[in-house]
Amino acid sequence: MDWLKKQISKETWSPYAAGILLGIVGVLAVLLSNKLLGASGAFENLAGMIGKAIVPNAFNNMYFNVVMPPGITWGVILLVGVFFGGMIGAATSKSLKWGKQDASNSDTQWKRIFGPQTWKRWVLGFFGAILLEYAAGIAGGCTSGLAISGGMLLVPAAFLFIAGMFGSGILTALIIYRNRY
Amino acid sequence: MNYAIALVLGAFFGFSLNKAGLTKYNKIVNQFRFTDMAVLKFMMTALVVAMIGLYGLRGLGLVTFPTVPATYIVGNLAGGLLFGVGMALTGY
Repeated sequence: MDWLKKQISKETWSPYAAGILLGIVGVLAVLLSNKLLGASGAFENLAGMIGKAIVPNAFNNMYFNVVMPPGITWGVILLVGVFFGGMIGAATSKSLKWGKQDASNSDTQWKRIFGPQTWKRWVLGFFGAILLEYAAGIAGGCTSGLAISGGMLLVPAAFLFIAGMFGSGILTALIIYRNRY
Repeated sequence: MNYAIALVLGAFFGFSLNKAGLTKYNKIVNQFRFTDMAVLKFMMTALVVAMIGLYGLRGLGLVTFPTVPATYIVGNLAGGLLFGVGMALTGY
């Protein structure tokens, strides 16, 4: 019991240990709910719901009617759980920065590369996230929904996605970091 | 009932991401610089554990797989390429 408490209060686990936990969660999702883990789809469900309420005509298409029907889906609830799970994880290791001084940007590496301004990170985060969500829409899933959930069912799409993700990710990192790579 | 399961599983999902350190910008971007392999270790471990679990359970006839994500080569690859740019930029 003491050992367990000590492990839970650690800030960073071995990625292998955390990976095993996620693997078990992935199996349980299929076993208990016959669903796959995923994050990006839930945002599309929510966006579809808001869009249909405000501009119904613009959202009355194949994608939002058939591929990603709007509504409070299993994935949306999962996402709520992810939010609180992440918070619990940070709180147990006392690294939760809610209301702390450097809460909006505490990453020293980020500050070294892009500068100390918080607004820069918000702008980059906003437009980067648009890119992420759009790309996930094209590919049919994100890192969790396609790469991990698809990969564990040995779907070819997942491995194509991982290859593309790493290819362009390495290139982008090379461009950002240049001689500091 | 299904929603309760989703909430609990989601919490463990988020917890494992946090404990692996993947909620931090530097972990994600350092994977692409190959100075920190945590992302790959985490992803591949989860994949292997889930593969063994799922195919084992299916072999025993305890689960049927849900609809698998569709494969359409150009879309999957193009989406992946675009996704990588966003991932390396934001670190999410």
